[in-house]
Amino acid sequence: MTPPTAAVTETVRQPLIPPSTHPYADVIHRLEAGGSMLPDTPENLMQIIGIYKAYAVPMDFYWRDLLYIAERVFLNPLPAFKYFISQDYLDLPNSYAGEQSKLRIWRGGEKAHPELLEFMAKGETGKLPKLLHHLWHDRINMEFAEACMQAMLWHQNMGGRFNDYLASDAYRANADRAIKAYFRGNPLMLGLYRLFPEMFMEQVKQMSYYANLGLFWEVMAPVFFEMSDIYDEGGFKGVPDAMDFLVNGIFAVAGRPIYHHVYINGECIEIIPKSEGFTWLYEAALPYVEAVFYRTAPFRGTKSYNAQAYQVPAEQADFHYGILYADVFPVGSAGIPPTLLMQDMLHFLPPYLVDLYKNHKRGEADQLIQLGITFQRSMYNVTSAVIQALRGALLYPLDDTDPEHLLANRRFFEAQMDRFLRPEARLPQVQTQDYR
Amino acid sequence: MANIIETAKGAGCFGTLLTAVEVAGLTGALEGPGPFTVFAPVDDAFAALPPGTVQTLVDNPPQLGRILKFHVLSGAYSREVLVTQPEWESLEGAPVAIRRADPFEVKNATVVSADIVCDNGIVHVIDRVILPG
Repeated sequence: MTPPTAAVTETVRQPLIPPSTHPYADVIHRLEAGGSMLPDTPENLMQIIGIYKAYAVPMDFYWRDLLYIAERVFLNPLPAFKYFISQDYLDLPNSYAGEQSKLRIWRGGEKAHPELLEFMAKGETGKLPKLLHHLWHDRINMEFAEACMQAMLWHQNMGGRFNDYLASDAYRANADRAIKAYFRGNPLMLGLYRLFPEMFMEQVKQMSYYANLGLFWEVMAPVFFEMSDIYDEGGFKGVPDAMDFLVNGIFAVAGRPIYHHVYINGECIEIIPKSEGFTWLYEAALPYVEAVFYRTAPFRGTKSYNAQAYQVPAEQADFHYGILYADVFPVGSAGIPPTLLMQDMLHFLPPYLVDLYKNHKRGEADQLIQLGITFQRSMYNVTSAVIQALRGALLYPLDDTDPEHLLANRRFFEAQMDRFLRPEARLPQVQTQDYR
Repeated sequence: MANIIETAKGAGCFGTLLTAVEVAGLTGALEGPGPFTVFAPVDDAFAALPPGTVQTLVDNPPQLGRILKFHVLSGAYSREVLVTQPEWESLEGAPVAIRRADPFEVKNATVVSADIVCDNGIVHVIDRVILPG
């Protein structure tokens, strides 16, 4: 016997605008439905959350050491110990974790993460003096963080007012005060400063980018830790949930000040004061995404590029060497920045990712490549969050009923996808699960 | 006639905006001679932002001030004048785009009440907080 059928009252809503004809129309329609560039599959969710956790632990070192260098090491001409972060900076309370935080993003503590401290003590080789760990490279690869900072420094004009400010009289006056204070009683360095003032200015600008990136990542580490904890509790239903968490996080901290303070002989010199009004979103996050996810620069030693044969774009804006375009296999060569990061993440993989990699491709033998591709997937999700956050901030809700508004959203999404039309983009690959 | 701040207080739907203006130290300026054009988001516009957004700004007055200044133009401009130009420079420095004349839209916000004339300028009430970019 068939059960009585209830009257079907479902109404079929006509779409207010025609479908996109863009080559990435499927992805665009998914974004318009509140999704991510990364398809919503349980494995994608597992991969991205697992790698966020593995990324957050070294990131907890990166942001602390970036601030340590910007604020304390500063212009040390022989900064051999700049990666030997002080205890004060390992204990520096994260502004978004711990009881003291005004806006608590991560439920955990405010000091350096326990897994980070454990790794710093033992590394892979066991308990040895710090110097030996450093020289043997059995440590957090801080060079990766510096490569990201240099990408931001080099690409410079990527929106926001930060870079313009570095050329202002106010900045130069503050930097001059800091340089003179730092080298007080050092006639050699002060003499060199008189001879080559711009060289010193450039170094201070670089230090300001150290501070910028440190303040940016101070936020991202607790965001990723919290996402991992939520996932472990079974809290995210799919990739869009994970993306929405990031979108909300971007808004929540958008107004965080970006500044550069330096401490010299107990005195704090404000090279970029908070009162300049620079914000996390405009002066750090958006330039970071542009410089690091999209652009960066060709990595030395991976491939030869012939600039005269136009293998390197003439315009910096066309650079496409970031993670969203990376061919992880050749990029995974020893010593170059992305590989350094992969090596750092390898130490903190959650067990479920270790198991996943064992069961695919070459198992443990190519874990670095597999986790690099996972990282690529996860950064397509972070980029999706940035795209959705910008759409939310500058355009219209996804459920808007005005067709003109929906078309404006459509044009925005299509323009974003245009950036992945070049053949190096990995957007098509991350649509399938067999890309590993 | 009342000034911009007095007008906003009288309207009863700008509690968050008035608090923000106070915290950012801009109340005095908006009570001054101006004249200004203010795109004033209603309380619901602030409430629609994800949790923490407003709090972070309120905790950091210079950053809050920057966002608020994006809602202010130097000079008093009515809707009729504003729609003659695609964008106007805000006090923050970034341009404010006039996207549509009818319905009257400023960036991604819709003007729900235009041309409220005050002693020291003109207020246009908007339904979303607008952001530079």
